[in-house]
Amino acid sequence: MQRRSMEQAIAPFGMDTITLAGPLEAKLDAIQNAGFSQVMLKANDLAGHPQGWQAAVKAIRSSGLRGTGFQVLRDFEGLSGHLHQYKVDIAKTMLEMCAALGCEVMLACSSTSTHATADLDAIARDLRKLAMLAVPFGIRVAYEALSWGRAVNEYTTAWDVVCRADCPNLGLGLDSYHVLAANSALDAIDELEPSRIFLVQLSDFMWQETRTFEERIATARTYRVFPGEGVHTQQLVEIVLKLDALGYAGDYSFEVFNDDYVQLPLPMVAERARVSALWLAEDVLRRAAPLPNQLRLRR
Amino acid sequence: MSDFLLASQNREPLQESFSDDANPLSLDGVEFIEYVTAAPQALGHVLEMMGFRPVARHRSREVLLYRQGGLNIVVNAHPAAAGRASLADDSPIISAVALRVRNARDAYHRVIDRGGWEVPTHPEAMELNIPAIHGAGGSRIYFVDRYREFSIYDVDFVPIPGVDPLPPALQGVHFFGIVQYIGPGRTFDWVEFYRELFGTEVIPDEQRFGIMPKGKLLRAPALQAANTFMLQLIEPPLDAGLMGREYLQRIGLGVPDVLAAVEAMRTLGMEFVEMPAAHTERRGAITKAYLGSVVFELVHSEGRA
Repeated sequence: MQRRSMEQAIAPFGMDTITLAGPLEAKLDAIQNAGFSQVMLKANDLAGHPQGWQAAVKAIRSSGLRGTGFQVLRDFEGLSGHLHQYKVDIAKTMLEMCAALGCEVMLACSSTSTHATADLDAIARDLRKLAMLAVPFGIRVAYEALSWGRAVNEYTTAWDVVCRADCPNLGLGLDSYHVLAANSALDAIDELEPSRIFLVQLSDFMWQETRTFEERIATARTYRVFPGEGVHTQQLVEIVLKLDALGYAGDYSFEVFNDDYVQLPLPMVAERARVSALWLAEDVLRRAAPLPNQLRLRR
Repeated sequence: MSDFLLASQNREPLQESFSDDANPLSLDGVEFIEYVTAAPQALGHVLEMMGFRPVARHRSREVLLYRQGGLNIVVNAHPAAAGRASLADDSPIISAVALRVRNARDAYHRVIDRGGWEVPTHPEAMELNIPAIHGAGGSRIYFVDRYREFSIYDVDFVPIPGVDPLPPALQGVHFFGIVQYIGPGRTFDWVEFYRELFGTEVIPDEQRFGIMPKGKLLRAPALQAANTFMLQLIEPPLDAGLMGREYLQRIGLGVPDVLAAVEAMRTLGMEFVEMPAAHTERRGAITKAYLGSVVFELVHSEGRA
């Protein structure tokens, strides 16, 4: 397969910086060399850069890779008083970082805090405020259910909250890991509004079940693998096909935290990601890649 | 349509907006609009062609106040201000809109609570601290409550000697609205932003004013009906690619007689666009762009004289 066709085929997919070890510039190079055109960025890519966060912004902007999104704002919603004010300040700084990168999506994951309320209307109100803060920057907020979230730990509840908040730049972030780990029914994907799914993160893992929150946390942070490498391939394919049938046309990023991958050379990990993306594009989604040198007329 | 529906508009006098729900901030119109520019004299010249007169200078900064009738325009050439908005070139930009509210502190806190983004302000000694939040494209939205018994200009500005501090409005010119250019697909984000924070409502698409009808039109509530104003949100055309810059593009001024106003402004040197797509008529008119960015639109409106 020619490189250009391959790059076009995997264009909807991107890697996450969290999958790779090493300095930011090396990660960006490896991702780009594997044929990807987008990368999901994490706040500490910027904060941990030896030359400072603006040097990181420069490196990303000059890499030619598009930022799929920026992650992750944690434990934002459901707090009150000083805690709420503190989190608003954190959120504002993260929005500024997201804007500096030119990323249009910021990921916020559901709260795990015992200090936060479980009242879904209060959660929705806070997320609405977050979305308002994001409007002047042109940023959309994707709200994701962590499978060990306290009040919100399934995508169906996250969607309920998004609907309650009813704000055009607040949508759903869907992470296949959390869907599978929480053993959520996949049927409800058919009920989602595709234009309000702002980000889909894909990964699989190696065991059949994760029953406790502790198991889910440990697996999520150390043993995720690329789609096609785990034991839930069938469900993962179902998720992707359901999203496709729904009309989801946004990005897919590989949210793969894996202790082994962060001690392997970057090109080898990026190659695994490329194989996974090609499998999804060609065998699962059967996206038609245009033939090389084919004349295409605009309609 | 029944007689009842036809007659309903004249049955009672128009109610002024008084409920807290309809006007949560107790908005009462626009107190001033601010331009930032590196060329204050050139901009002043354009404003004078529209009928504005310079009336006061800021005590500590390179800032001039222009006025006609109830309209105030602040021209800010203070070097520190120039850096705060994204100036692509030397063209002036609309850098702030100051809203009149019943209580600035209350309004500010209400807006911050709902996701407004506070802007730090740095008043000098004896100057007012006017609270502000971030608006479109690096602009600011100020909240001003001192506009009745005495004005903010009494504190921060020194009158220019020998000029009328209250020059009359040329041809009944009054504030009508602001046009904001927005990124592709961003209409509903901004509709929600202004509704949530300021209580604006969307006007039906069939209802348009002037000669530039594109986009969505929002109406801001006001304590006195005459002080309502419009916000027009305009996305780039579909074929414009990634022309996504967001900014306050122009000021709309209401006049009872557009043709007479255009005539009066032409006498002062102002030029208007006369093309098939946009030209002076009874409904409205639009000036050519001065200094690369400064445009005024005239809209037929009886409004305030």
